[in-house]
Amino acid sequence: MSVRAIGAYAFPSRSRQELYGDDQLVHVWWRNNRFLCAAATFRAPKAMTWADFRAALMDPWAASDPDFDPASPAEWTVDGAPLVPRDDQTLEQLGVGHKSLLSFAG
Amino acid sequence: MSTPRKLSMKKRYSALTRDLDWTPTYVDPKAVFPYTSFEGITIHDWSKWEDPFRLTVDSYFKYQAEKDKRLYAVLDGFAQSQGHLSLTDARYLNAMKLFIQGVTPLEYAAHRHFAFLSRFYDGPGPRFAAQCQSVDELRHTQTEVHTLSTYNKYYGGMHNWPEQFDRVWYLSVPKSYFEDAMSAGPFEFLIAISFSFEYLLTNLLFVPFMSGASFNGDLPTMTFGFSAQSDESRHMTLGLEAIKFLLEQDEANVPIVQEWIDKWFWRGYRLVALIAQMLDYMLPRKVMSWKESFELYFEEQMLGGLFPDLEFYGITKPRHVEQAIAEKDLLSHQVYWTLYQFSFAAGFTTTVPEADHLDWLSANYPETFDKYFRPLWDKAKKIQDDGGRFFFQGLPQLCQVCQVPMLFTEPGDPTTLAQRQVVHEGERYDFCSDGCQWIFEREPEKYVQAWLPVHQIFQGNCGGPSVPEVLAWYGLQDGDAGEYLGSVDHQNWERWHDHAASADVEAPVGSEPAEARA
Amino acid sequence: MTTSDARVRMVGVDLQENDDSRAIVDALEEDNPDAVISRMPGLVRVRCPQRLVVNQASVERHLGRAWETHEFQLSIVSYFGHIDEWDDDEIVVAWDH
Repeated sequence: MSVRAIGAYAFPSRSRQELYGDDQLVHVWWRNNRFLCAAATFRAPKAMTWADFRAALMDPWAASDPDFDPASPAEWTVDGAPLVPRDDQTLEQLGVGHKSLLSFAG
Repeated sequence: MSTPRKLSMKKRYSALTRDLDWTPTYVDPKAVFPYTSFEGITIHDWSKWEDPFRLTVDSYFKYQAEKDKRLYAVLDGFAQSQGHLSLTDARYLNAMKLFIQGVTPLEYAAHRHFAFLSRFYDGPGPRFAAQCQSVDELRHTQTEVHTLSTYNKYYGGMHNWPEQFDRVWYLSVPKSYFEDAMSAGPFEFLIAISFSFEYLLTNLLFVPFMSGASFNGDLPTMTFGFSAQSDESRHMTLGLEAIKFLLEQDEANVPIVQEWIDKWFWRGYRLVALIAQMLDYMLPRKVMSWKESFELYFEEQMLGGLFPDLEFYGITKPRHVEQAIAEKDLLSHQVYWTLYQFSFAAGFTTTVPEADHLDWLSANYPETFDKYFRPLWDKAKKIQDDGGRFFFQGLPQLCQVCQVPMLFTEPGDPTTLAQRQVVHEGERYDFCSDGCQWIFEREPEKYVQAWLPVHQIFQGNCGGPSVPEVLAWYGLQDGDAGEYLGSVDHQNWERWHDHAASADVEAPVGSEPAEARA
Repeated sequence: MTTSDARVRMVGVDLQENDDSRAIVDALEEDNPDAVISRMPGLVRVRCPQRLVVNQASVERHLGRAWETHEFQLSIVSYFGHIDEWDDDEIVVAWDH
């Protein structure tokens, strides 16, 4: 234990994955877009397909920027590693875990 | 027969404070003071604590009461003369909404914690100083509420601050900051708040608000500021005395104190990001830029004045201070740009800066504003002119430690958001900067417990999955949030000043913020 | 340990701009020849190299009424430096090292 405390000091994370059931949190970072001030955080089922994730969650957010072109996102990464997502793959299959960071250039 | 002689200030102070102390004889001292050894701080001689103000209870209450009387007389006069109509503009009050929501609750928390400390320090000197500060902070809470109640009658955003402090996303920044300090030991609290906040960073917080008030016709806040600042001079003294006392008591305290300075400079610096944007964006009549303010109140006075003094003890400048210096051309812009796109969920409104304001920003930030930020505002303005209003249709990634949305950029590259991740006991945590990551890695057991607003919304703990449900849970009322132009405050302002109805007063037809996805 | 650079560090006080402060500033100017006075909205700033003294007798003389050093609290807005001394006769703001 690194923290100095007057007694035992061990508490669970307030955002651990089990609190989201079969879902998890996913961050999406549009790397070369400064119009959106930060990456977005979504709650998505682990079994959600990439196509559904794009259509239901990511794209509506990216469309906050009126210049967003849904065909443009490319050079995907997940947690820093290159990713080539297929529409039928689930987030879990794609290696997207709880609080993973997806990023793209678009 | 000799006439009774008056005690000197020094002797009187001693007689009425320290000389009232006693050593317990039938109780173990460690049981009386159970919190002052676990942090590793060594105190050999509590009597070395100096209190330069040498206030005793009678003079304390006499002068505090006088300060209150003078303040309340001004508040009465302002209310009686309908002074709010003399503000430069209603949009100025967004700064004061942020103040009552984000600063006043910290005064109250400080009041409570100094009361706790006034019992649990071993030495009578700091106990008495903490007692005075506890009463001071309650006074600040009360006077801030009274000062701003005059505006609460006519403008939105101020009516529900105690509840909002515990619930609203941007207020978790000050809340988590202070609770980090309150859950630390008594010595860390002293370095965190009395030194790092009330001394090192205090002018960066207070002077912008109070000068901003003065420049924008806000007589109550300005007068409150002067009234409170005289107490703050005592608090600053406590902070400086605290650090010197700890450093002088034992050499082994030095590295512990250094780490606390490193941690609390950074936490405090991320907190005052909210001030930076206020200074550059929320004041219709500007005082000085954040950059100037930071250069004067921090670089010159603290790095140039205080830290050379502390070198004597082996204390060095705070870790990560170079990043804060490098960010001074960027900070306010990045933060207000963020608040602009999230104010649909805030207790204040935001708006695109007008042309002369944009020019002021260009002039004050010649290296960065036109290059990185003016294009963003031009685009937002175009959306507005086309009948829309740009909002971030979702929830932002938050930093686990400072809890600010991760809007900051890589040192040396203002076009790339900074991303830091650590895996701790199998779970990922995100940070906005090396500074926050360093803080987490020192005491992960604390920060894994963070109540992050975005995560809590997604867990269903904030009233519901949709934005309207969350805003209702926040206790926001119609007009509190969103765009300033066309807002309730704006419409009232125009009417009260007999301005003819104009196109500007129409609320821009904006896209509705999307529901937060569950 | 101090370095050998000759840079002089300033100390100072910011006072509220009011009737009483006018007299206090006059006393400060008299007792601190190197003091620099500047004015900002609502504030008077008094800056001095290394050491600033508020002398009770001087202030009382300029004010024309009884004045104790505790009353300085009603005027002070902020200070810069370290309060070395606060006694019946004087207040001293300086840097230690």
